[in-house]
Amino acid sequence: MKIISVQHVNKAFGRVQAVCDLSFEVEEGICFGLLGPNGAGKTTMMKMLYGRSHRDLGDGGVIRVFGFDPARDELAIKYLSGVVPQENNLDDELNVFQNLMIYSKFYGLSGATARERIKGLLEFLELSEKAGARIRELSGGMQRRLVIARALLNNPRLLILDEPTTGLDPQVRHLIWDKLRRLRAQGTTILLTTHYMEEAFQICDTILIMDKGRRVLEDDPRDLLRSNIEAYVLEVPIANGAPAIEESGLPAGVRLDRAEGTQRFYADDIDRLKSVVDKLSGDQYFIRQSTLEDVFLKATGRALNEKQ
Amino acid sequence: MRSSSPAVYPSLSQRLFSVWYRHMRVYTKNLVSNGLPPFLEPLLFLMGVGLGLGKYIDQKWDGLPYIDFLGTGLLVTAAMFTAAYECTFGTFIRLEFEKVYDGMLAAPITVNNLIVGEILWAGTKGLFFTFAVMCVLIAFGIIQLPAGLLTPFVGFLTGMMFATLSLWITSFVKTINHFNFYLTGVISPMFFFSGVVFPTDDLPQNIRFVAEILPLTHAVRLSRAVCSSDYTPALLGSVAYIAVFTPVMGMLAIRRLRNRLVQ
Repeated sequence: MKIISVQHVNKAFGRVQAVCDLSFEVEEGICFGLLGPNGAGKTTMMKMLYGRSHRDLGDGGVIRVFGFDPARDELAIKYLSGVVPQENNLDDELNVFQNLMIYSKFYGLSGATARERIKGLLEFLELSEKAGARIRELSGGMQRRLVIARALLNNPRLLILDEPTTGLDPQVRHLIWDKLRRLRAQGTTILLTTHYMEEAFQICDTILIMDKGRRVLEDDPRDLLRSNIEAYVLEVPIANGAPAIEESGLPAGVRLDRAEGTQRFYADDIDRLKSVVDKLSGDQYFIRQSTLEDVFLKATGRALNEKQ
Repeated sequence: MRSSSPAVYPSLSQRLFSVWYRHMRVYTKNLVSNGLPPFLEPLLFLMGVGLGLGKYIDQKWDGLPYIDFLGTGLLVTAAMFTAAYECTFGTFIRLEFEKVYDGMLAAPITVNNLIVGEILWAGTKGLFFTFAVMCVLIAFGIIQLPAGLLTPFVGFLTGMMFATLSLWITSFVKTINHFNFYLTGVISPMFFFSGVVFPTDDLPQNIRFVAEILPLTHAVRLSRAVCSSDYTPALLGSVAYIAVFTPVMGMLAIRRLRNRLVQ
């Protein structure tokens, strides 16, 4: 069953085209990642799913979430979904438990049901000991987990997360990824935005790379890697402004990507990269496997846009 | 593709209640610092101005001793001030700094529910602040029981009326300092020219109509009428003013704030 269906959706803010003819579908039970640089339209697309932003009407664009149109039935969608916004917005005056309690009212949960569910969620997100703590006493990672717990209050079938782990340390990121994997294993559909390639690679079944409001690539992360980038990269820093190797001197099957300060040589055959290394004078080089980051940079370009 | 399953979500009253409940919980978290001043302020005002200054005023004001005249006006100015602050600074901070609405609007409520919930909450604060003044007035022997017990409901109506006006103002404001224009330029003058500290009849003839336009004037008239159980046909005008002002201004505020909250 398709949980989300987006077809030919546009969204303009004045003269800025935030989302442009975007289409995608999210099947039940998968984790779907929207990737892109800042300003790519990820958050706008996400907000259009639950009625916080309206798509441009009258141009044939269609959005359905659980079969509901967010422009008409935002309440039904939000009742079945949990949303983790980009910024933590907890009530500083209240403690951890109370923060969840006030949100239980939005879903019409009875006091007893709410208390039981909050207990379970604090356990799930490893916050049980902090139930009585004030928000200021929580670390950034704990606050993030609490916002996730809040989004899970109504046992949502769809969880929408906007940059769930931005700014968090590696331990917390891995913990959150683990929780998201477990939710997906229980059948929760997940849609998240991120600009961490590793995050997308770790937990997403499908990745859609966006740039300037448009779809650039969409696939399973491993297939994206296989079909869009060479297997290996050789990175060589540019010392004193002089590139180590000129493009003309490269063996066949090696592609050069010149960025500020670094030359990157891509090839499927690692031996060819080693032959490039042989021509280097210094030992300042690094050969590694390609990552989604390389795909991403190739797809969206290295130049910064005005929002970055 | 239309959904085959019917839309399921909490009822309107549950949604409005949940917004109100959130504000109530946050407000009552600091019960002493939030709950005591509403009692102290009218006490200080009545002692300082009413007793101190009132001693030099022998004249009856609309048939009342000065301290009674002032006191029955303060019942609703307390509601006005609390609603005005709640729906300017309070709303703006929730909107821009704390991003509280980002979280609330991710839950199954609409922008309309959110704003109407704010208005109901401001009305509740108005009710509480008027209740506090009422307690002080009863202690001073200024208002009679049981008629005086109705005044908190006037405070509720006053709070809602000023909530709608203040939310409408907030919908225009880009930086928090701009509220000074509204609070100093609109709310404070209303305190002086709406028949609270002196009767509107004493205003110069040619600007007396201004007092009739101000919402506080009508709240004050309703408050005095309730305190003295003196209901005149002219009071219907004030009741009608409040009954029209609140929903009309409320709709204007909702329309403008919706554009700000949903892009």
